This record gives sequence, structure tokens and C-alpha cells, in this order.
Amino acid sequence: MYELIIVGGGPAAISAGIVSARKKIKTLVIADSFGGQWIMAGDIQNFIGTKSVSGFNLAKNLESHLKAQEGIEVKQAAVLKITKKGAGFSIEIDKGETFEAKTVLIASGSGHRKLNIPGEKEFEGKGVFYCATCDAPLMKDRAVAVVGGGNSAFESAISLLDYASKIYVLDRAEILKADEINQEKVRNSGKAEIIAGVSITEIFGDKMVSGLKYQSCDGGEIKELAVEGIFISISRIANNEIVNGLVEVNQAGEIIVDPKTQKTSVDGIWAAGDVTDVLYKQGNVAIGDGMKAALNIYSYLRIDNKK
Amino acid sequence: MKMVKIYSTQTCPYCEMAKEYLAEQGIKYENYDVAGDEAARKEMVEKSGQMGVPVLDIDGTIIVGFNKPEMEKALKLNK
Repeated sequence: MYELIIVGGGPAAISAGIVSARKKIKTLVIADSFGGQWIMAGDIQNFIGTKSVSGFNLAKNLESHLKAQEGIEVKQAAVLKITKKGAGFSIEIDKGETFEAKTVLIASGSGHRKLNIPGEKEFEGKGVFYCATCDAPLMKDRAVAVVGGGNSAFESAISLLDYASKIYVLDRAEILKADEINQEKVRNSGKAEIIAGVSITEIFGDKMVSGLKYQSCDGGEIKELAVEGIFISISRIANNEIVNGLVEVNQAGEIIVDPKTQKTSVDGIWAAGDVTDVLYKQGNVAIGDGMKAALNIYSYLRIDNKK
Repeated sequence: MKMVKIYSTQTCPYCEMAKEYLAEQGIKYENYDVAGDEAARKEMVEKSGQMGVPVLDIDGTIIVGFNKPEMEKALKLNK
């Protein structure tokens, strides 16, 4: 029986793992990969303490920092289900094994949200992409579209600047959320056009994508853009299936936490990072929230329960 | 010895993970950078019917993306 099982391998999970190992809490981390969304990020310039680092290297650093902790156990697997068992919890993984723990921290992050429009599924990999760092080099001298208005969308657009001949950034919002510095880089490139306040209605093509249709959100006429690549980078969905029905979530499916302690609605379960209703979905914030959770779990295990 | 080809781009983290995994298993592979190599790109699109990377060709079995279970199956690594 572990004192703590951490589910996830992104910044929230890793920071919590490092804190709990240093507190000598008997901890198991179960993750299918390490580094979270940073794996896919290109050049990261807002990781505090580092001027510039590739997302892939940052992810590797997180993994090695976690694994260097004395006494921590790490299992690479996907968690299927978490259930209440006695005074603790039982966690089932994909290889059929189950593990038990007194407390659980859910840091399972978030997944791609799809547009759910005609053509999206049909053309996945055939011009519809979700990873710009992977597939941007294939778009040399081609016109492309990026869908979304947050930092990850603009980072996708920035990785495309080196390759594409023309980049359209389309978002539903009138005022885009991405950091001004990222927006400026794209705007000042001379080959980008930002189209705000619109939604994509259809993706079309023959064998591969040849364009998309969009419409202003107040219901104007439908317009077309000729593009060969469409990079989708819209808001994400919390990976909450593993605690389905166990903890309280909001309408968006995000786990509701107390922002001071990261406690969920269930005694013994904490959550941190993008799976929660945290307002700012950022790696640096997730690191802080993971740390808060681990410190609070330490109090719960070693102080509160001894009173 | 299995014939393993990987079609990748230099910036792609999942390509890197797939290569690392092959190296860990001691499996030799040929790498094709589809961003620079037009012929390799065509070959990849013909084999996989799409243009996302990575694509692996393991003795004729085509795998799109870094998919460890599928790779294990194609490489017949008994785990």
C-alpha cells in the first residue's frame, strides 16, 4: 500500500512527485509518458529560469529529475480507473494490475479537442494536424491555417513561419488570448493573416486537404480559404474519465479543486494541472499547483491525521 | 533481422521517441527526413495514405504515429 499515487506525467505530476519523494512519502507515479504537452512544444521561452529550451528537452529534464529522486517508484502505464476501497483507493492500470494508496493525486492533464465539423476526421493526417512541431516541415511553400487563439495556437503558427508561404490564424474569439509577444511575432512576419471572431464550418479536399470554409460568429456569409494544412490548437478537454462519477467536475468536465490546497470534493483525492478548473492552463502554473498538492498531502498524512 | 524504416522530420518529438525506443531495443533502422527528401515523402504518403509523421515501416507493416504496442507487435517483442 502506497501513501500516495500520482496519476500523470506532466509538470503538475512531476513537481508533486519530487516534493513527495523529498518528504519521504511512499509514492508511486503512474504515467503513460513524461513531460505533458511540453513534449510537443517547439522552443519554450517562458519556462522560468531558462531563456530558451526545446519542449522535448524540457520534457526529458522533467522525467530525469523525477526518476533521480531516491525512493520514488515510477510505472509507465495508462490508468484505467480509480475506485474507493476501504480507507484508501484502488487504481487499475491497462496491464491488468491494481495498486492501492491512502491518497491520490490526479494530474492526468488534458487532450485534444476536435472541431467536430465535416472533413476533420476524414482528413486527419491528410492535411489536418494536431502537432505543428511534428508536421510543420511538411508544409514548405504551402498555405496553411492554424485554428485557435491561445499560446499553443500561436506557437504552432511560429513553428510554421519557417516553412509555410502563408499562414492564416482563425479563432472564434474577437480578442485573442495568446501572449502579445507571440501575437506580434506572427503579425510582423509579413506572411500571416489573423481572422478573429469566426468559426470553421467545413474542411474539404480530394485525397488531401485543399481548403476550409468559415463563417463569422455573428452569422455572416460563408467564405473559403485555399490551404493544404490545417493545424488545430483549440481549447482542450480535461482527461477525467479515470475518476468518472467519483469527484465533482464542472460543466467543462474539469475537476473542481480548492485553489489553496488542490483538494477535490472527495477526502483523500487531490488534483492539479490542466485536468482541474484552474483558470490559467500553463506549465509553470501546473508546477506550482502540483507542489501545493504534495505539501497539503504531506500535512494530511503526517500532521492532520496524528492530531 | 527485421527491415525497419522510419519517416520523420527533424523537429518531431514523437519521431525522436520512436527512434529512442528502437535504439533501446537494439533494433537497427533507416531514417528518412521527409521534410528535405521529396522522394521519401512520396513513398511515405503512398504507404500510409497520409502525411503526418512519424511513419514506421516494419517489414511491410505500416504504423502511423509513435504507437508502442503496435511496434511491439510488428517487431514481435514478447512482453
